[in-house]
Amino acid sequence: MNGMLLVAGREVRTQVRTKGFIVGLAVTVILIVGITLAPKLFGGPDSYTIGLVNSQELAVQGGGDTEIEWRAFSDEAAARRAVLDGDVDAAMIGGTAATRVLSDGEIDGELGLMLQAAHREAQISAAGVKTTPLSMESIGADTRYEETRSQMAFMLVLILFMLVVGTPMMVAMGVVEEKGSRIVEILLTSVRPWQLLGGKVIGLGVVGLINLVVVLAAGLGAAFVSGLAVDFPPGMVGIVAGVIVWFVLGYAFFAAIAAALASLVSRQEEVGNVLTPMTMTMFASYGVAFYAAKEPTSLVATIVSYVPPFSSMVMPVRATAAATPMWEVLLSGALMAAAVAAMVLFAGRVYERAVLRTGARVRLREVIGSR
Amino acid sequence: MLEISGLRKTFGAAKRALDGVSFAVRQGEMFGFVGANGAGKTTTMRIVMGVLQADEGEVRWKDGPLGFAERRRFGYMPEERGLYQKMKVAEQIGYFGRLHGLAPAEARRAADELIERLGLTERAGDAVEALSLGNQQRVQLAVALVHDPDVLVLDEPFSGLDPLAVDALAEVLQERARGGVPVIFSSHQLELVERLCDSVGIISAGQMVASGTVDELRSSVGRRLRVVVAEAKPGWADGLPGDLRVENGREVLIAADGDDQHILHVAVQAGRVEHFGVEQPTLTEIFREAVA
Repeated sequence: MNGMLLVAGREVRTQVRTKGFIVGLAVTVILIVGITLAPKLFGGPDSYTIGLVNSQELAVQGGGDTEIEWRAFSDEAAARRAVLDGDVDAAMIGGTAATRVLSDGEIDGELGLMLQAAHREAQISAAGVKTTPLSMESIGADTRYEETRSQMAFMLVLILFMLVVGTPMMVAMGVVEEKGSRIVEILLTSVRPWQLLGGKVIGLGVVGLINLVVVLAAGLGAAFVSGLAVDFPPGMVGIVAGVIVWFVLGYAFFAAIAAALASLVSRQEEVGNVLTPMTMTMFASYGVAFYAAKEPTSLVATIVSYVPPFSSMVMPVRATAAATPMWEVLLSGALMAAAVAAMVLFAGRVYERAVLRTGARVRLREVIGSR
Repeated sequence: MLEISGLRKTFGAAKRALDGVSFAVRQGEMFGFVGANGAGKTTTMRIVMGVLQADEGEVRWKDGPLGFAERRRFGYMPEERGLYQKMKVAEQIGYFGRLHGLAPAEARRAADELIERLGLTERAGDAVEALSLGNQQRVQLAVALVHDPDVLVLDEPFSGLDPLAVDALAEVLQERARGGVPVIFSSHQLELVERLCDSVGIISAGQMVASGTVDELRSSVGRRLRVVVAEAKPGWADGLPGDLRVENGREVLIAADGDDQHILHVAVQAGRVEHFGVEQPTLTEIFREAVA
């Protein structure tokens, strides 16, 4: 156990200190924060400035937290200048039979509608008629969080894909580094193969978790700062915890395959080739997960969310995109955990038998068959 | 005592690498393992270290079977050097110390000591990949020595080292041997083996063809008489056993057997005897004869 922790400790220290890790993490955080804040930054403004000439302020009722600032101008010429200079979004010119609204180019659709409605309201109440606003109520399923859920699910597909693909790749590179340089010969005189492999997988898994937690924290932090968090569906803690558990399961499965396959070759150039079956599986998982983010309740997404190892990417995405019963998630998790256990045992056996056989690529059949 | 007995190993269907290799190395003994390329030195050492499994035969340490726990106390330098290229020198040596079971402080102390001893002080904070090959080799040796091993198994530790580094390494190994550690190392530098080793094993085509102390090996080759006679007539040695060679323009008689008194008598009559003595065969000569 001690040997395994030592190996894991070295992996974490070595990775965390590299420039690649720090830069990669910084870039991901910037990307995630950027994507989270983007709707806020690039969406339409929710405050407008309106110029007034011979007219009164209107009781505008916009959606959400729309704010309107009124600015009086002495005459139409001054208001026109302000519109063209961009000082105000529009100017309302009263005094004649029909009040005119001037804007630079066609008026912002939302603003136009709001002004029209407010103006009508003002005219009606001026005529002495009392109005009551419509009361709106949904009697269908609660769809308030649908959009947020689906946005979160897409982000999740991206994050999980990067980490579940990238981290086992690091395991494969590490295994080949040790095998190719024969350092493994020295290592295996002081630690057991399972300690060496286990330590490597755990150490790099911790590195992956650090990545995941930082990225999640950055995303959630940005959501709270920008106010997007008010749209978060209930049970966010469960969703986030689920993502972490699913990452651990998916990583463990793919890292075990990566280690087993990588132990068959002795040179870094051969890694990509020998890992092809694994990368294909990952891309397939990614494809279905992407589809599940869009259509979480579809039959395909539902079925595949039970099939290991695809479930490790599809289930968390499905559960984020749409509320999913707990028993479904637990059942799928149990199946995946069983698959992880089987794969770890198999990979350990392959690794132990292949890692000291340097030189030409070892055939998987030879290793499984021997002894 | 480390006992290697009856090791056999076949690679694939046809290639027999070891065919009954046996020898023993006592506490504090420096054992030189020599043989041509491909003779089986590396295979034997890999089996001793458990990196390879023998088809037959066994390795025993202190009269018991050699297992993982015992091997963890061995120091090993494989034929193909392996270090983490991007890891710093001091950190790397310390890490291997920890893997061999040293406490953190102990490992650090042992690493610092070796770094100083092997002249790596200025490079302690550098990544291994930034070091010259000679210095990398020193780090490799430090990795093998850091846990103060019970046995040292070193495959070609001297190859690629400059003469000063060879001396430094030889000194370190002798010191360990004096401390009671059996040291096995392979080398093609036979003068070095002859100078350093208490005993030597010669392996050829997977079989031990000779082993024992250097003196024992010499006596197995036999005593040789070397006679130089100045101003002798050509053909003075006709009828005597041995070969007549020309060295530096001089005729030299090398005789492996025969009555030395008779040879001396003939020589005195032939001319002025400049040299008459028993000659020690070098390890190189013993080796040539053994593998021939």
